[in-house]
Amino acid sequence: MRVAAVAAAVMAVFTVAQAQGQPAAAPPSWQQGKPPAMGESTLHPFAPNLTGRAAKELPTDKLRVPAGFKVEVWAEGIPEARSLARGEKGTVFVSNRLSKNVYAVVDRGATREVKTVLTGLNAPNGIAFSRGTLYVAERDKITRYDGIEARLDNPGEGKLVVDGLDPSQQPGHFWKYLAMGPDGKLYFNIGAPGNIVMPSYMQASIMRVDPGKGVLENVALGVRNSVGFDWNPRTKELWFTNHGRDWLGDDSPNDTLHRVASKGAHFGYPFCHQGDTPDPEYGKHRSCSEFAPPALKLGAHIAPLGMKFYTGKMFPPEYRNNIFIAMHGSWNRSTKQGYNVTRVVVNDKGKVVKSAPFLTGFLQNERGDPPMWGRPVDVLVMRDGALLVSDDYNGILYRVSYAKR
Amino acid sequence: MSAWAARRGAAIAFAALALGAASVAGADREAGRRKAEVCAACHGPAGNSVDPAVPSIAGQPAQFVSTELFLFREGNRKDPRMSPIAAGLSNGDLNDLAAYFAAEKPAPPKHGSAPENAAAGPALARKFNCVQCHGPELLGQQHIPRLAGQQPDYLLAQLRGFKAGTRADIDGNMTSAAHALSDQDIQVLADYLAGLNAGK
Repeated sequence: MRVAAVAAAVMAVFTVAQAQGQPAAAPPSWQQGKPPAMGESTLHPFAPNLTGRAAKELPTDKLRVPAGFKVEVWAEGIPEARSLARGEKGTVFVSNRLSKNVYAVVDRGATREVKTVLTGLNAPNGIAFSRGTLYVAERDKITRYDGIEARLDNPGEGKLVVDGLDPSQQPGHFWKYLAMGPDGKLYFNIGAPGNIVMPSYMQASIMRVDPGKGVLENVALGVRNSVGFDWNPRTKELWFTNHGRDWLGDDSPNDTLHRVASKGAHFGYPFCHQGDTPDPEYGKHRSCSEFAPPALKLGAHIAPLGMKFYTGKMFPPEYRNNIFIAMHGSWNRSTKQGYNVTRVVVNDKGKVVKSAPFLTGFLQNERGDPPMWGRPVDVLVMRDGALLVSDDYNGILYRVSYAKR
Repeated sequence: MSAWAARRGAAIAFAALALGAASVAGADREAGRRKAEVCAACHGPAGNSVDPAVPSIAGQPAQFVSTELFLFREGNRKDPRMSPIAAGLSNGDLNDLAAYFAAEKPAPPKHGSAPENAAAGPALARKFNCVQCHGPELLGQQHIPRLAGQQPDYLLAQLRGFKAGTRADIDGNMTSAAHALSDQDIQVLADYLAGLNAGK
């Protein structure tokens, strides 16, 4: 969900207005950047069912996958299931964004058990597992939990990797995605502090940190909010999804998929959107030509979240090294789109060849309110090659598998 | 898909079921009715409050009821009476209670709005974007509450709390929306909203 926020810039105006004795008149956060012509738009963000919903109450029979594939409910009772990470002993870790927990899903003999392993965290959306350690990115810091799979019932307090990651301390895109890079460094986003505002040096970026040293580095700049990234297994390049701004109309700008060809590249925000569309305000005196264009335009407001290159062996060979992207689905659009997992085919040279929806059926009525009964958030390739998909709207994990014909 | 593949698919499905992905019970309205007996002491019969400071929850959207109980339980929202009650409830309890209250019928409001506030209210509700999320009739939807016919003192306290940043909401939207309101606006809106008949 791309709830824009009261931004630092807006707060500055707010403070000035107060100082001058005028009534405070900051726009509601999600409306920041909305033109007067759209003043009475009834578009609004959706919220997850924070207590979860039972799969049997939901039309899971509407889910569709290509011929030969199969989709089923794999685990439920994981309220606000967001990011996914896989442990070495088979544990599947699941995070929260608005809630405060990290869960572990473990198979014990004949039963699959959901345990709450960490509680009381501050927007712990980002989780990554590497060499026995679970890393958790909260709003302001990253913490490590060593050897957690051996002590899921008592994982302890964790050790700080780095803090100071919430520079504005304002509502905004403060939740983080977290992934361990092939270089042994942790990669995470710091989102823009509002819909369309001038970010600070630490914001609208993807950064990385060496967990042993705690030193931060810029990886990508001008990234409004990325809540999904992974490395191309063939080229080792970082790819990421990005959310475009709101309130520029139903079809503009596109949310995007990007490739980071050089460390520190700038992807345009807030000056230029989707590589070719100057912002009406911030882009007035800039050119899109100085910014890195997207590898693929994904659709306006479609809300791409978690993404993974498919490295498993269960799916047919043509799926190898494809990208799967969880599309959380639009709210800032009169006809809704997304609410699926999309397959993107990338060739040997790292160019996008084609893309198409892969797992569909969550969208019920594109003009409904709500239009969907479930919302994909993240994808995870399991050891057997099956694909897990999280759904924060209901607190359910789905498993997509393939049976040879 | 061949018959062989279909059989194989069935076998895989059976294996997954046999592993016993522990299923979650659905929301149970009747269980909710029993669990709600304690609520009536303050929230009134079937969740129709008769106390101007206590909200009516009859006919509120189910997701709103479960979300607010969740926020009380988790400590985001605090109240000396509600916090201890919510502390002991499971997610299943919250869903049962939500199913029960959402199906109850809101009683017509006892509150009569001042004529000048009833006249000024609709324009204010548009100007400050209330209708955009709470709906054109202010009946609420999804996680967003019905305001029509809500108790006036409760509305006043919530709007003032949002403006002061002391009333939690899940995404910060109401906090920032309330920033734009003067206390005079809040008083007019609360009086206007409390007099709207949600049942008509």
